[in-house]
Amino acid sequence: MQRDMHKDIHIQRYLPEENAEPFWQTFQVPYDDTTSILDVLNYIKEELDPTLSFRWSCRMAICGSCGYMVNGIPKLGCKDFVRNYPSALRIGPLAHFTVERDLMVAMDEFLDHLEAVKPYLINEPQDKQAPHRQTPAQLAKYKQFSNCINCGLCYAACPQFGLNPEFVGPGAIALAHRYNLDSRDQGQGQRMPILNSHDGVWSCTFVGFCSDVCPKGVDPAAAVNQGKVESAKSMLIQMFRGGA
Amino acid sequence: MSYKPTLSGSWWLQHRFFRAYMLREATVLPLVFLICSLLAGVYSLASLEQFSAWQEFMAKPWVIGIHALALLASLYHALTFFQLFPRVMPIRLGNKQVPAILMVAGQWAGTVAVMVMFLWLFGGGA
Repeated sequence: MQRDMHKDIHIQRYLPEENAEPFWQTFQVPYDDTTSILDVLNYIKEELDPTLSFRWSCRMAICGSCGYMVNGIPKLGCKDFVRNYPSALRIGPLAHFTVERDLMVAMDEFLDHLEAVKPYLINEPQDKQAPHRQTPAQLAKYKQFSNCINCGLCYAACPQFGLNPEFVGPGAIALAHRYNLDSRDQGQGQRMPILNSHDGVWSCTFVGFCSDVCPKGVDPAAAVNQGKVESAKSMLIQMFRGGA
Repeated sequence: MSYKPTLSGSWWLQHRFFRAYMLREATVLPLVFLICSLLAGVYSLASLEQFSAWQEFMAKPWVIGIHALALLASLYHALTFFQLFPRVMPIRLGNKQVPAILMVAGQWAGTVAVMVMFLWLFGGGA
């Protein structure tokens, strides 16, 4: 393993009380083959500049807190390594979100969309004491989409969300789809109006970059576009019923 | 206090992935030209002079060039479409998921079958 190497790390800073505009700052940081982007940020905060602000928690790609743009691509800081970047390394806040300070973005837009699609089991069990039964085949239908950790990388990858923040977006639609596919759920009727709307599944043009950057292999683009099939079915059924 | 970055008009030039996406979307442009040419052909059936003028137009090298581009563009679009299809319409037979590669191969087999049929129908000359 190579040790004692140093690298220039360019970080996009935003300190609203000092400067109204974001600016780039360069730090020299030691690294080896095991140094993650998050390690770099922690080194800077502990050794070089304690004013650097960024979110992180678990260090093992499950909390979804440490999403940043690394050389323009959304990445989890804990799951991406300095060794992957032999040339320049530029770290910025997640794209398309409002930046509050340095690498910290306001996740409210994503969370509002997430809340709107009711990402939880909706059902009225006859017997509240009885367990929810599900076969492995029923589980397999939605399992992939349930791996979402709400990190927001897919939103930072989605140009449609960047152009129209009202777009419900890949992550929230993937979770709506996950519950729609769940055999225990009866809430599809409540979720379809928002998925059918202009800012629902139909705002997606299948750029597909959301699935490329997803750190958990959820494939939100597939969920959104499977949602289009469901949305078309639901709209047709409504048409034949004569309801709006 | 906060700031919200805006997406510039050149966002799609920033990354290889976005350029490939825009190329996929742009395949419609030569196809629009092909469709307009064919529509003009239908209208030219009104008279013999118009039809021969249309035939002359269709034989121009630059028109053949754009139509050849339309063929390449639609094949590229088919390539991207076939790759995305198994993700949008996953097929389950019993408890087994049909492998994506099989679905892609099936679609290409269908494309080749249609092309062979058209060659057989129209390729034999008079």
